[in-house]
Amino acid sequence: MSELSVGLTCPACGGTISVGEGEKNIACKYCDSALHIDGDEGVMIAAFKNKITKEQSIDTVKKWWKKGLKSRDLKTKGKIVECYPIYLPFWKIKARTAGWVCGYEERRRTDSNGHVHVERIPLEQMVLRDVIYSNIACDPGDLGIRRLHNFHGELTLEDFTMLPTYESVTSKDDALSAAKMYAIDSGIASAGVPNITFQKVNAIIQDISMIYYPIWIVQYEYNDRIYLATVDGVTNSIISGRAPGDALFQSLAVTGGAAAGGLVASLSIPLAWYSSPEFGVMGFIFGVAITAIAYHFFRNGSERVEGDFKSNNKKSSSDVINDLNELSGLMRGMKI
Amino acid sequence: MITIKCPKCVAPIEIDAGTKFTKCPYCDTQIYVDRSGAGFYYIIDFTLDKDAAIGTFKRWASGPSKVKNLDKTASITNIKKMFFPTYFFRRHVDGKEKVIIEPAQSTTLPGLHRLKIPAGDFQIFDSSYKIDDAELMEPDIEMLHYLDSLPGSGKEQALVYFPIWIIEYSYKGTNYKAVIDASSSEVFASSFPARSSASYLAITAGGFMAFFIEGALAVKYPVIAVALMGVTALAVFLTSYKITKEAA
Repeated sequence: MSELSVGLTCPACGGTISVGEGEKNIACKYCDSALHIDGDEGVMIAAFKNKITKEQSIDTVKKWWKKGLKSRDLKTKGKIVECYPIYLPFWKIKARTAGWVCGYEERRRTDSNGHVHVERIPLEQMVLRDVIYSNIACDPGDLGIRRLHNFHGELTLEDFTMLPTYESVTSKDDALSAAKMYAIDSGIASAGVPNITFQKVNAIIQDISMIYYPIWIVQYEYNDRIYLATVDGVTNSIISGRAPGDALFQSLAVTGGAAAGGLVASLSIPLAWYSSPEFGVMGFIFGVAITAIAYHFFRNGSERVEGDFKSNNKKSSSDVINDLNELSGLMRGMKI
Repeated sequence: MITIKCPKCVAPIEIDAGTKFTKCPYCDTQIYVDRSGAGFYYIIDFTLDKDAAIGTFKRWASGPSKVKNLDKTASITNIKKMFFPTYFFRRHVDGKEKVIIEPAQSTTLPGLHRLKIPAGDFQIFDSSYKIDDAELMEPDIEMLHYLDSLPGSGKEQALVYFPIWIIEYSYKGTNYKAVIDASSSEVFASSFPARSSASYLAITAGGFMAFFIEGALAVKYPVIAVALMGVTALAVFLTSYKITKEAA
């Protein structure tokens, strides 16, 4: 296995040279030769120093238990099972977006005779902005973390060997092309042109680095179930987590939502009568929307989820059809 | 830990899974670890023990998409602790770095055919690594099989063993399987007893309709309408509370 290692020696005198992180031009300490280091595809690696203790991260999770419509007895019944720090790898890519986006905006107005006029306003916007793209460099699993939320911290390589470091299993070039796409898309969006007729936007990558970020994983128990939350090791804030919900909040939400939605919808009838039918329809849709939001919380609020989890619990369309069939069966049963 | 020889003084140097550069402790030579010519064996530690795995399963089973009280009514029939193998290739293809993940074992287990390596701290897997009571699933496809057919040139190739818990459970006479990634706590399942949304939908739609009609009624008979609204609110609250409480 000796071919595994490649020594770095001065090409002029053969003496051992040492190269610091990020150095491009150095002088050999033995023969004073000026040497240029050509790292063909190097990526700067940086690690943020972990700033919080185990107790602090547990404290943060316990405070989080009390917030955000979680189960009311979580603060008394919740029990911390395990708490440990890890380093997670992230790609951090700085890109400059530059280009032009042209198009138009449509404005409608109704004159005193009730005629609707559509006015087209041509728009020509220059895009010039710097964006920072970040993405996790390993599989996020069920950690609920995908992006870096904080780019500031004390750099160190000291803890690096102390904490378990999760390995990067993604490719640099995939990250670069994803960053380019993100930069171009967000550049076009920032131009704020509703109807685009022409666009030419480019992204120039300025810098790529791999950031190792300290994150505390906190496992806790509630009703024999194990939940997980993650705490930012620099800012001491919750990044992601799952927690049990509360039946009281769920049923209050659906009662309030159905009441507000139903009343708003019924209010739309006189609105349609005395004002314009358009307002009436809008009012009705608004009422239904309020109820739909309340329904969503009522149906799924038994687990509270914060962070970037992929929604693998989404129902397929066949499930929805099944539900509707069952519902119509239920209705029929009620009539009899 | 694996040991390499210093190219200058031939002293043995220990390196870790993630090491790219290291310094020879004897002659101070800086050494680049070039992994393109060798195949590595890595393994990821278990971060969930048996109790935590069962707890994670219960958390998952209590989720809103699962049939209500699945965490309490499902009976766990079997639990297996395993290391599952996958190949990891980092290659240079047309001037670009590409990561390719290939199966090392054909499997029908849910989630594992999706081909990914879960987040984890890679350890060097050699005779000093203790797998304890976990079963090591041997690869049934050779690494060479892929090396011959993959595009580009190799930068790194490895066999990665990652830790899983396989939980077999039965619910109302039907057997199901769930796989828990013991490094990042992700739960995989291809099928599970799903919870119907019908009763939730019925309550919401019924409440909405009742309030809609009562709102319209309020224009003519405000007192009756308000009284009816109060009754509806109470009815919706009580039935929804009953449903959510049962499933909590």
